[in-house]
Amino acid sequence: MQAATVVRNARLISGLVLMAFVTGHLANLSIGIHSLEAMEAWRAQLMDPWRSGVGQPLLLAAVCIHVAFGLYAISARRSMTLSRADVVQLVLGLLTPPLLLNHVVVTYMADQVTPDFDSAYGMLLAIYWKFSPGYAFQQLFVVVIVWIHAALGLYSWLVLKPVWRRVGGFVLPALFAVPILALIGFAEAGKEVLAKLASDPAWQAHITDNITSIVKVTSKMDALQAQILLTYGALLLLAAGVFAARMLRDRLTPVRIVYDGGACAQGRRGLSVLELSILNDVPHAHVCSGRGRCGTCRVQVDAGAQALSPANDIEQATLARVSEGKPVAAGVRLACQARVLGAGVEVTRLLPAYADASAARLPQDWLADDAAPARDPAP
Amino acid sequence: MTWLMRSLCVGALSLAASAPAFAAAGEHSLAALSMGALAETKARIETLAGNFAQAPGELRQLTEQTRKSMMSGTGVRGFTYLLILLLVGAAAEWLYWTYAYSPLRAIHATPVETPLQALRLGLRHLLLRVSGMLLFTFAAIGVSAAFSWPAGMHELVIALTLLLLSLRLSWVAVAIIVAPGRPQFKLVPVDPRRARWLAATVVVALSLLAFGQFVPAILERAAEARHAAGLLRFAAYAAATLILLVGAFTLFSRPSGPSGAAQMRLPIIPRSFLLALLVAAVFVAWVMSERVAAVTLIVAIVIALQLGLRDMVYFYWRGDGESGEAQGALPAIVLSLARFVVVLVGIGAAALALDTPLTALAESVSPWVRIGLRLLGVAVLALLAHGVWIAVRSVVDHRLAGIGPVDPHHTPDASSRLLTLLPLLRVTTAVVLMVMLVLSSLWALGIEITPLLAGAGVLGIALGFGAQALVRDVIAGIFFLAEDAFRVGEYVESGTNTKGTVERITLRSVALRHHNGPLHFVPYGSLGTVRNQSRDWVIDKFNLPLPIEVDSETIRKMIKKIGEDMKNDPELGGLLLEPLKGKLYRVDPSVKIFRCKFRSPPGKQFDLRASALKRIEAALKKLGLGFADGRQTVLMHPPAATPPA
Ligand code: FES
Repeated sequence: MQAATVVRNARLISGLVLMAFVTGHLANLSIGIHSLEAMEAWRAQLMDPWRSGVGQPLLLAAVCIHVAFGLYAISARRSMTLSRADVVQLVLGLLTPPLLLNHVVVTYMADQVTPDFDSAYGMLLAIYWKFSPGYAFQQLFVVVIVWIHAALGLYSWLVLKPVWRRVGGFVLPALFAVPILALIGFAEAGKEVLAKLASDPAWQAHITDNITSIVKVTSKMDALQAQILLTYGALLLLAAGVFAARMLRDRLTPVRIVYDGGACAQGRRGLSVLELSILNDVPHAHVCSGRGRCGTCRVQVDAGAQALSPANDIEQATLARVSEGKPVAAGVRLACQARVLGAGVEVTRLLPAYADASAARLPQDWLADDAAPARDPAP
Repeated sequence: MTWLMRSLCVGALSLAASAPAFAAAGEHSLAALSMGALAETKARIETLAGNFAQAPGELRQLTEQTRKSMMSGTGVRGFTYLLILLLVGAAAEWLYWTYAYSPLRAIHATPVETPLQALRLGLRHLLLRVSGMLLFTFAAIGVSAAFSWPAGMHELVIALTLLLLSLRLSWVAVAIIVAPGRPQFKLVPVDPRRARWLAATVVVALSLLAFGQFVPAILERAAEARHAAGLLRFAAYAAATLILLVGAFTLFSRPSGPSGAAQMRLPIIPRSFLLALLVAAVFVAWVMSERVAAVTLIVAIVIALQLGLRDMVYFYWRGDGESGEAQGALPAIVLSLARFVVVLVGIGAAALALDTPLTALAESVSPWVRIGLRLLGVAVLALLAHGVWIAVRSVVDHRLAGIGPVDPHHTPDASSRLLTLLPLLRVTTAVVLMVMLVLSSLWALGIEITPLLAGAGVLGIALGFGAQALVRDVIAGIFFLAEDAFRVGEYVESGTNTKGTVERITLRSVALRHHNGPLHFVPYGSLGTVRNQSRDWVIDKFNLPLPIEVDSETIRKMIKKIGEDMKNDPELGGLLLEPLKGKLYRVDPSVKIFRCKFRSPPGKQFDLRASALKRIEAALKKLGLGFADGRQTVLMHPPAATPPA
């Protein structure tokens, strides 16, 4: 396996692990619609596995891998040709660590630093709803942000698979139902906590105690947070710096490619064919926005094949998949993976620019006639 | 003529658009009015200055208040609910798109050749998008009813949802109209290189305007922060004005660089300057008074649209190119209609903005209002006349252009009647329309035209006696033309011994070109009987004198044979309506005279006869015969032995 595949799969798998954790967490929150007690009771099933000897390292590793490879992916970019969904996902992803850190530290670190800390839902909700609502806003934001980031990732991965046609009908509503229910659960449980605080002085005293104990260690936790944030910021800057440096370096050597129908595109050396198309407004299908998964961007290289980067194994696997058992035709490349390193490249787009996810699920439907030029849609 | 009509139209319409403004100006004199305006402006400026001074304190107080109310259980609850609403709306819209995506893809997949096609697709696109947004809004607002909101929060949330809707709407509308990045989908003629910036400018300005419209109102209602609201509004509007000004100057300047056509044009006020002027005027009006601002805004939009409407409408018939004028009647009529509709909508909007019901306008006694309304009436009349004139003119021109250039000395064919009548129709229409427009405009302006008409009647009678001949000519002409007695290009003989080809037809006379050259101008009144030589067919007859000895049957057959040959000849065959025939007609001493005849279209008989004679001569020669030579053979009796003397 080549590095590109490793990175991609690592991001995917760690992302899935994180999503499973978040889903469980949100599901637990949504039980608050019923009652605070039920919420607490289900915690054992939904959250505790992640605190076990297996779950905890797994989660930690997933977080580290996802963040690290995410930043690596930014640094490895060659251009900012992103679809709108990609931009949303990128920005939300970058926002998540700083916003979420506080929550993680309070719930995860606090009981390590202060052994008698009670991190039950009732306690946290009391903090959010009564004692420092500022955190509540942060948490609500983070729920939505993390979930949208995750849902976009899951959707854009799953929608390309043939299995989507069977599970799509359930997954899509679930992607919306989970956060909505969690928020409702949060609101209902919050009401209950407020009522309980007003009516149960003993519980209130307990909470206040707890808070004083946590306030004692705030400085410690703040220091920890600051450290993590600093590291994160530095890594982010590094990634952005690498990206910018590459852009600046490549800018010096322009390349040019020609498409079927006479259109042509110009750009920095090292950009992929697809990036050139997008930067020059040349219509070109790219359902997975250049992740090399969908195969809709594939082109027939008519000239200058030696001026393109060699096919990596992501590309080979995708090309093999979309040719469905038949040998991959000679000269067919994925435009999003083939980078232009020299002059004289001419390509023919094989799929019409309006191809959608179904073109990835049922490749042959979209290529009835291999020789047909990609520009004219079938009537 | 057209130009006059058009400028009259536009001028009158634009003037009329301000009728409601006059109405608002209402019952006061001009001096009092300007004094009032000055006072109002002064008060407004003082308020604005006050806003600047007091707003910071108010804003600080406001943030403090918000923070306090938000940093509590209720604040958290409201925010949670808001997030739920947004998620529900997004879910509804996403579900909608899982179905609506294929139609959208079909739209993107359709190859677009003409702007009309782009318009159709653009409308469909807009409908799809708007349905999604409406779904979002309805879902969010509907769900919001299910929650128990903290006090005041519900209205706020609904206002925010609507603000979001309006922002998205304007964004999508601008994106579809200008189509940045897909030039063939654009609905107005914009330079594709500027489309992106244009869209961005308009969207940002619209967002600022919407912000200035909605948010300060919320502040005023919910927090009673009048000064802060005023300041926010001022800032938002000023920013929008600034952006529009910059946009007008950078995006509407004519691309420099010599292009042949552009250099030939007369210098005009640059469009960018006009637009900037309009924007600035609206802002200044807003600073002066809010009521005036609304009307100014409407008038500015009407004027801006009028400026660009021509290009926009013609864009649909000839694309981006500047060339090509004659396009048939449709674009011109659509253009007039569009101008009219824009003005009418503008007037309606102005009336709405001023809270003046239109019926009240009609009954108002203020002279300004009445003048405004009358101008409006004139404008409508001018528009109607313009419409009719454009329709007639372009139909006539179109037909004439289809027939081709006029050549009176060519064989007249089926279109010659049109050639005769169409120019006449055009002039007549123009005159009649002008007269009717002037008369009805006077009437619309409230000037009594009955005495005028009566006077004209008397004058008419006087003139009529004087110009009896003229009237007779015109009326006779009408009948000649109605009965289709002659057309341009026909050869006619009139009763007075004048003959020639019809070259020109006017209201009073016809010009006949004699075949020797002179041009006769014959008034219709003295045309008398017209013998039209160019209608349907002619029969040509000629005599053939032959020696007395020839066998008449052989000759008859020979002529018939020639007739058949001519019929089969590729050049002559088509011209012979009835073939050549001949028979023995008379026997004179020593001469047999045969008479031949054939039928042909008018004007062709001379050529045909010549070629028939040529063939007959050749055939006779073949038979060893000749034409009768007229020589008499004198037989001496008895034949003398002596040699002749
Ligand atoms: S864009 Fe999906 S494979 Fe290239």
